[in-house]
Amino acid sequence: MLPTQLRVLLVIGALLALLIVCNRVKKSKILMEDAIFWTVLAFVLVLLAVFPQIAICVSQALGFVSASNFVYLVVMVLLLWKVFTNSSEISRLKAKVNELAQEIALAHVDEDESAEKNCG
Amino acid sequence: MRVLAVVPAFNEEECLANTVASLKSTCPDVDCLVVNDGSSDGTWDIVRKNRLHGANLPVNTGLTSAFRTGMKYALRHGYDAVVQFDADGQHLPSYIPVMARKLEETGANMVIASRYLDGTVRPSGARGAGSRLITFLIRLTTGARITDPTSGMRMYSKEMIRLFATSFDCAPEPDMVALAARRYGPVVEIQATMQERQGGESYLKLGNVIKYMSRTCLSILMLRFLR
Repeated sequence: MLPTQLRVLLVIGALLALLIVCNRVKKSKILMEDAIFWTVLAFVLVLLAVFPQIAICVSQALGFVSASNFVYLVVMVLLLWKVFTNSSEISRLKAKVNELAQEIALAHVDEDESAEKNCG
Repeated sequence: MRVLAVVPAFNEEECLANTVASLKSTCPDVDCLVVNDGSSDGTWDIVRKNRLHGANLPVNTGLTSAFRTGMKYALRHGYDAVVQFDADGQHLPSYIPVMARKLEETGANMVIASRYLDGTVRPSGARGAGSRLITFLIRLTTGARITDPTSGMRMYSKEMIRLFATSFDCAPEPDMVALAARRYGPVVEIQATMQERQGGESYLKLGNVIKYMSRTCLSILMLRFLR
């Protein structure tokens, strides 16, 4: 069984998350492509709360002591996945910022060089 | 052979002028590009005042990115070799022609100015132990014997210039030495001495040594299997 309290908490939490995400999208504080993840996460939590049979079946099949443990694991895996993709995205952003800084620096060197040639 | 000395400089106002002056007087044939890595002190003013050849990164992006700026410049201006040269005055410019000759003679892709090649000086202390560990790891993963992998004075061939200028993740660090030794032809060394740094602060502060060592060792091992 999935405890009723946990089910209620999941639904409340998911609705809260949806509210915050929608608010951010409306205020142009997050890109739609990034908001999708959180929306899907909220739906997954609602799904698990509304249909406890899913969690119960899978947790029994995988040998979990209780269905709530399985729900926690799902949340943890999703969050770890998100942290990792964030990390790799930050890596790519760092590389891009560095590239841009390098190009700015090199563009100015070439400007200086052509200016010197014109003077001399 | 056209050689470019890339001098990354982050907050090096104390010794930059002297370093470049001695570089120019010792090796008049070698072009020199100072890369100011978003310094917060007067490093860029020194470059301007002394009319040095310099590139100015608008933000601090780290040694790797500063060095890559120099590599891109070298690639776009057709240089045959690049020597990585510290701004703090610990590298002696008189070794640059020796390294260039060695690069040409051996057809190597990288020449390292080693403090320990002839065995008269031995790596000592905590840093020495770290250096020996990296030497061992490089020997283990590539078979190459590099006596001074942490030496910051390295000369790179045209092929390496292209690699650094165009790759996503190429750092002028020992892990790249290992990768170069395994994938891009020989890495050779010449015997050299180095001076104490003439002022300013090192990129490698004592607190960062553990971080540096774990990063370097893990990277050497991971690159062995991934690239």
